[in-house]
Amino acid sequence: MTSVLVVDDDQDLAEMLGIVLNGVGIEVDLVSRGDEVLEVVRNNPPDLILLDVMLPGLDGVEVCRQIREHSIQVPIVMLTAKGDTHDVVLGLEAGADDYMVKPFKPSELVARIKTRLRRTTTNIKGTLTLGDISIDIVEHTISRGTKEIPLTRLEFDLLVALAKEPGRVFTREALLNEVWGYRHSTDTRLVNVHVQRLRAKVEHDPENPTIITTVRGIGYKAGASGSRGK
Amino acid sequence: MRKIVERFRRSLTLKVILSIVLLTTLVLGVVGTTLFSRITAGIKEEKVDSAISEAAYTIYFAQTRLLASSRTDSELRRTAKEIVNSQDIGSDISSREIVLMRGIQNIDPEVPIDSVSNQISLSSIPNTLREKVASSGNISWEFVNTIYASGKLVPSVAVGEEIQVSKSGTYEMYVIFSLEPQIKALVLIKNYLWLSGLALLILITFVTWLTLRQILQPIREVAETAERLTTGALDLRINVQSEDEIGRLGQTFNEMARSIEEQIRRLENLSRVQQQFVSDVSHELRTPLTTIRMASDLLFNARESFDPAIGRSTELLLAQIDKFEKLLEDLLEVSRFDADVANVKPEIVDVRTLVSKCMDDLALVASNRSTSLTLECVGEDLSAQLDPRRITRVVRNLLTNAIEHSDGKAVNVSVIADDHSLSIGVRDHGVGIDPTNHHRVFDRFWRADTSRSRARGGTGLGLAIAQEDARLHNGQITLWSELNEGAHFTLTIPKKFGEELATPALHH
Repeated sequence: MTSVLVVDDDQDLAEMLGIVLNGVGIEVDLVSRGDEVLEVVRNNPPDLILLDVMLPGLDGVEVCRQIREHSIQVPIVMLTAKGDTHDVVLGLEAGADDYMVKPFKPSELVARIKTRLRRTTTNIKGTLTLGDISIDIVEHTISRGTKEIPLTRLEFDLLVALAKEPGRVFTREALLNEVWGYRHSTDTRLVNVHVQRLRAKVEHDPENPTIITTVRGIGYKAGASGSRGK
Repeated sequence: MRKIVERFRRSLTLKVILSIVLLTTLVLGVVGTTLFSRITAGIKEEKVDSAISEAAYTIYFAQTRLLASSRTDSELRRTAKEIVNSQDIGSDISSREIVLMRGIQNIDPEVPIDSVSNQISLSSIPNTLREKVASSGNISWEFVNTIYASGKLVPSVAVGEEIQVSKSGTYEMYVIFSLEPQIKALVLIKNYLWLSGLALLILITFVTWLTLRQILQPIREVAETAERLTTGALDLRINVQSEDEIGRLGQTFNEMARSIEEQIRRLENLSRVQQQFVSDVSHELRTPLTTIRMASDLLFNARESFDPAIGRSTELLLAQIDKFEKLLEDLLEVSRFDADVANVKPEIVDVRTLVSKCMDDLALVASNRSTSLTLECVGEDLSAQLDPRRITRVVRNLLTNAIEHSDGKAVNVSVIADDHSLSIGVRDHGVGIDPTNHHRVFDRFWRADTSRSRARGGTGLGLAIAQEDARLHNGQITLWSELNEGAHFTLTIPKKFGEELATPALHH
């Protein structure tokens, strides 16, 4: 059974989230303090974390950073009351995969959680190569030579989305649709931040990327700039 | 030329210096002219006086000689010649001429002596002087121009008197004194006057400039500081160095600036606290609202199993929560406008596509009210640099309002562009708005309850937000409406973000 860890200091909201998620067959654990999250995650790894930004003990952004620093690649969805503030970007930069602005519709939340939990569905089996990176679709791992590079599931999905059609230019909106499951959203910060994070892990020199390159004014593509792929 | 006038208009220094130069020139001119004419008169008077006494002596001396020479005619003529030639007898006056002329009445003397002179033409003596001499019988004088044989003219004073020559009757004797030394002196004086006048003028101008500079420099500094203060550099102060009146101006200015800064900081802080409060309240409301929404969603999904009254209640509950959410969102947006923190992300967008999309999104709402939507586009290039999220919001808002008040009649949307601006018009044919209320439609929470059927879905903030969005684009929303004729809202924005709207709205 899928399990989600809900981190929120508002007991009522946490309980309500539990009721809604239980209703769609998701098991829920509750934590109300930020500084308790890491221990819980280590002892009993969840499939996904719903993380409120404002928490006692340790705020959501810090919790995020802590989890990623311990190389725990669990999907994290932040819950925030301020969709327009710097918090969102900070959270994403700290390693959150997605965020939801309160108040949200339960159906939206469930849809977003399901997107994050689903396995990458692609008809490509086996491995893909991108530069000196090889991507094992089945095992969900990527490596350079013999060295494995740890990626979050979202980063893996993003890389695969780009790599399976090397040279094709993806707009940020297309990536939002493909990787995050948004049908219409204009918050392209999600894409920008995660491309940066991904580059930091896979590029030799993140300042001069060759694996994921920016196409000015349009979006991103896999492969060095100029190369058109197959 | 216009540049000079403009510079003159803007510079106090130039103005003051010009008026001082003009005034000084005038005063110096009057004083100089008066002084010079006084000096001229004095010198000439003095010369005439000395000329008369000199002449009287010379004439008396000649008279005695001529009367005494009762000898032969030739002796008489020689004596006359001698007298005429004796230019310097008993006198230190450098240059004088003597003329001896036969009297006007003396037509046929016994021993005629010709009129004699030395080097000079007899016509040097004007007839007016001769008549004066003849009629008065006394010594007489006049300013004349001595005509030398060489043709040279010398300004002089001529003094004459009748003398009696033995056997020859009445003669006139003139002593002519050249005024050349006096004129030379006068020219010199005149030059000195000019020179000192000019020097004085330059000195006064310079002193004025220096004084003005000393006074104006601090004032200019105050003006510049005030200007920069106006543009927001509130912590700017003047460096006060002196304790005189100018120093006091600087001090007072600094005090004023400090007090203004304090006031502004206080007000800024106050409004920041206020805005922060509105923002915090809106945010704090969100967490409980999330719980409420999720709970009511659950109830709503299970409404089939409830008693009909409770089922209906859950429907109403959810509808109100939707509305509450929208209101909260709008309030936050308004507080962002008030706090001036609304950020705009302009990009080049095809407005026809944007408008079409809005119309597609609202097609269902329109068809529920059996209202048809039409789109008309005029213009070559219908793209503009704008924040799509904001403009979409404006268009949706105008469209929603129009559909709501359309009374089932068609709503016509138009997109019109010229080279610089673009406008989107939304026209309904419903009840319209009383023109006396036009200025209030953009007010927050204003609803035209009487003339327009009550807006069911809106928050009352839609048009206020739309107008702020338009303003962020340097655009405007205009309204034409008559009761029972419908309403026409028009959003006009410049095509290039950040430019000013040059032409008024293209519609109407």
